[in-house]
Amino acid sequence: MTTRAKLGYTAAGLTVFATLLVPFVLYGAFTKGFAGLGLHVDEMYSGGPKVRTIQAAGYSIDIHRPVSPHMLQHEKPFVQLDWRPVGALPPHVSDLVDVDGDGQPDIRVSFDVPKDPKAPLRVNVEPLNPRYQAMRNVGKPQFSELIVRVDDAILVRVPLAQQ
Amino acid sequence: MATQDKRLPPQPLRSVGRSLLLTLPIAVWSLLMFGHFWQPDRSAQIASVTTAVFMIALFFMMMRTSRTYRWRRWFFVALGLLFPVGFIHQVIAMRGTMGIPIEEMIAGRTPFCYIPIPMLILPAALMKTVVFPGSIRPHGGMSGGGMAAMAGIWLAMTLVIGKGWCSYACFFGGIEEGMASVPPKAKVRKIDPRWRYGPWAVLLVMVLMSLALFEPAYCMWLCPFKAVSEYVAARNTVGTVQNGIFVLLFATLVIALPLLTKKRTQCAFFCPFGAFQSIFNKTSIFDVKIDRSRCTPCVLCQKSCPTLSLTDESIVKGETLMSCMKCGACVDACPKDAAVWHIKGTEVAVKPERARLMFLYAAWAMAIMFGGSIIAEGLQTILHVFI
Amino acid sequence: MLNSSPMGPTSLFGEAMALGLASGPACVASCGPVLVPSSLAEGAGLRLNVRYLSAFLGMRFLGYLVFAALAWEVGTLLSVAPTARSLVFGTVHILLAGVLLWYAYAAGRICTHACAGSELVTIGPSGKRGVPGAAVLGFLTGVSLCPPFVAAAVRVAELGSLAAALFFFTVFFVGTSVWFVPFVGLGYVRRNEAVTTVARMAMVLVAFYYAYLGLMMLVGRSAYGYPR
Repeated sequence: MTTRAKLGYTAAGLTVFATLLVPFVLYGAFTKGFAGLGLHVDEMYSGGPKVRTIQAAGYSIDIHRPVSPHMLQHEKPFVQLDWRPVGALPPHVSDLVDVDGDGQPDIRVSFDVPKDPKAPLRVNVEPLNPRYQAMRNVGKPQFSELIVRVDDAILVRVPLAQQ
Repeated sequence: MATQDKRLPPQPLRSVGRSLLLTLPIAVWSLLMFGHFWQPDRSAQIASVTTAVFMIALFFMMMRTSRTYRWRRWFFVALGLLFPVGFIHQVIAMRGTMGIPIEEMIAGRTPFCYIPIPMLILPAALMKTVVFPGSIRPHGGMSGGGMAAMAGIWLAMTLVIGKGWCSYACFFGGIEEGMASVPPKAKVRKIDPRWRYGPWAVLLVMVLMSLALFEPAYCMWLCPFKAVSEYVAARNTVGTVQNGIFVLLFATLVIALPLLTKKRTQCAFFCPFGAFQSIFNKTSIFDVKIDRSRCTPCVLCQKSCPTLSLTDESIVKGETLMSCMKCGACVDACPKDAAVWHIKGTEVAVKPERARLMFLYAAWAMAIMFGGSIIAEGLQTILHVFI
Repeated sequence: MLNSSPMGPTSLFGEAMALGLASGPACVASCGPVLVPSSLAEGAGLRLNVRYLSAFLGMRFLGYLVFAALAWEVGTLLSVAPTARSLVFGTVHILLAGVLLWYAYAAGRICTHACAGSELVTIGPSGKRGVPGAAVLGFLTGVSLCPPFVAAAVRVAELGSLAAALFFFTVFFVGTSVWFVPFVGLGYVRRNEAVTTVARMAMVLVAFYYAYLGLMMLVGRSAYGYPR
């Protein structure tokens, strides 16, 4: 048998051996490897990391870092705000929110909280700072401008005015 | 001369005893795999046992008859039919609809399949960003094991079986393979071989567009298999058009064209993931060769190949194209035993059965681990109706 | 707000170069779907690929200059009525789609096997009377509105003179073009039936997308139907 053939058979044997390792070693190792690469899901989907929390009467408002579209994404820049827990929210929410943390309110956000968790949500946003866009009776038309309920929070994404 | 069918007498059957002996490792593996995931639920137990017996029986027949394609196809079609059963049931049980609402995408609970992997590489490499609305780790709901888990299983299995993924793991390909096997004869026989470059064109465009638009472009616009899994719930006319596109592509590439041509047309002419997996045929130690000393050429191998992976030029060279899925159709069709399984580096057609066995042990073990669990889940879903 | 007082050439150069270099990836992302398939459809060889890239970038530069002048003339691109803007760019995208289809067809006329052609693929009349497809594609991508272009146009609109505007865009263009240098490597890719067929098919797919995008722009919508 030539050396090449010996190498070939060795590699084939190792491949069959590797098969045995797949469910017990390789799968777990590769999964950990991918998870440890430091990748993150695009913020257009995830909403960006939380940077601040404002305490209100019995509930809190999480403010996320503003998200800008990457490359040629067909979305606007936005900032996400989370009201949680939903159970503690009044039937009608109307909050002045200081988004950028400068001590001045930037927007007024108003929405009803229906008892039925599957009922559609609508939000109105009145900008007090020209950096933010107004929203009139908006549902969930696109990732950068919406109000949705996710688990025990109501998320509002307010588009930023185009620079 | 090339067109005369000078078939050899049928391959003698391997003895039952020897076939059982060769099947024993697979039987042990099945016990390990299905035993490892044994559940207290009665329908799950019946489904697991049925699937294990099914897979062992098919492997036994592969050993007994020394043929691969026909028996592998049973598994593959079962996988293609039962995956949607289990998956769609799970989706509807969890959220009531096949349409993915935007809330689920924001929550990172979009299930991740392997098809977008090639399109996510550039944005991940350049900007450490995964342009898919899922979760890296498990995150409840339909996020399953998370994207890292799917990527992990894909990489592990690809290292072992390379492009054999398309014949032993892909839970979509079995639908068109089943469609292709229905008619006794192809109504459309002449296919321009340049269409087989289609998957590479789709891959190139989808990779570039995914980077430019920073989204999983194939999933959003072109994937035909959203018809049997899930799709983005339409929020406007464009969403409806997107959904119409995948229905049209599914009806054409997965149902109609396989019926007309008896080829796996979606795989051969469109699938960008398949093009990407072809790269791993270069790294795989197993391949299929043509022994030029035995080949007449009758081109029965070429006619039998479901993905047009054999051309006149490649037969002259004694090899298959990069798109070969190692399904075994050409080997089984060859009347002169010229098309053979092969281990790179070894002499062609010297102990091809050894190469076949080694490949099949690897491929079938993976098929049981991955596809088998999916088949069992689909069966369990059906059994739940009665038990 | 950026002030509109006259800036020295050095600081203008620095600003334009920085903006160009920072915008390069987005420029590559937006031009890539056109550039890569069309370049692969050309004949093989480094020299021919350099000619291709030069024609593409040269005409893209011309497109930039045309827009630089316009941007300065009208004050700011964004102050043009949205419907007029959408009409112009929608038309450009549809033209781009048409050229890509024509290019894909014309590329089939050249040698498709492993030979190094010495002429660029032309569209229009065949032979020397045709226009290099690379040039047309370069010009059309140059006048397509992409986010880095908008950023540069907004800045240019505030400069004091047309000369400053053209200077700014020239330097900005050089900054973005640095990112296109690696595409020269496409010349090393062996050309055979597989590569040219894949490239031509890819151009057709990209053409469909650009045609769709153009139509959506004409009706004032983004690719996903959001109002522009």
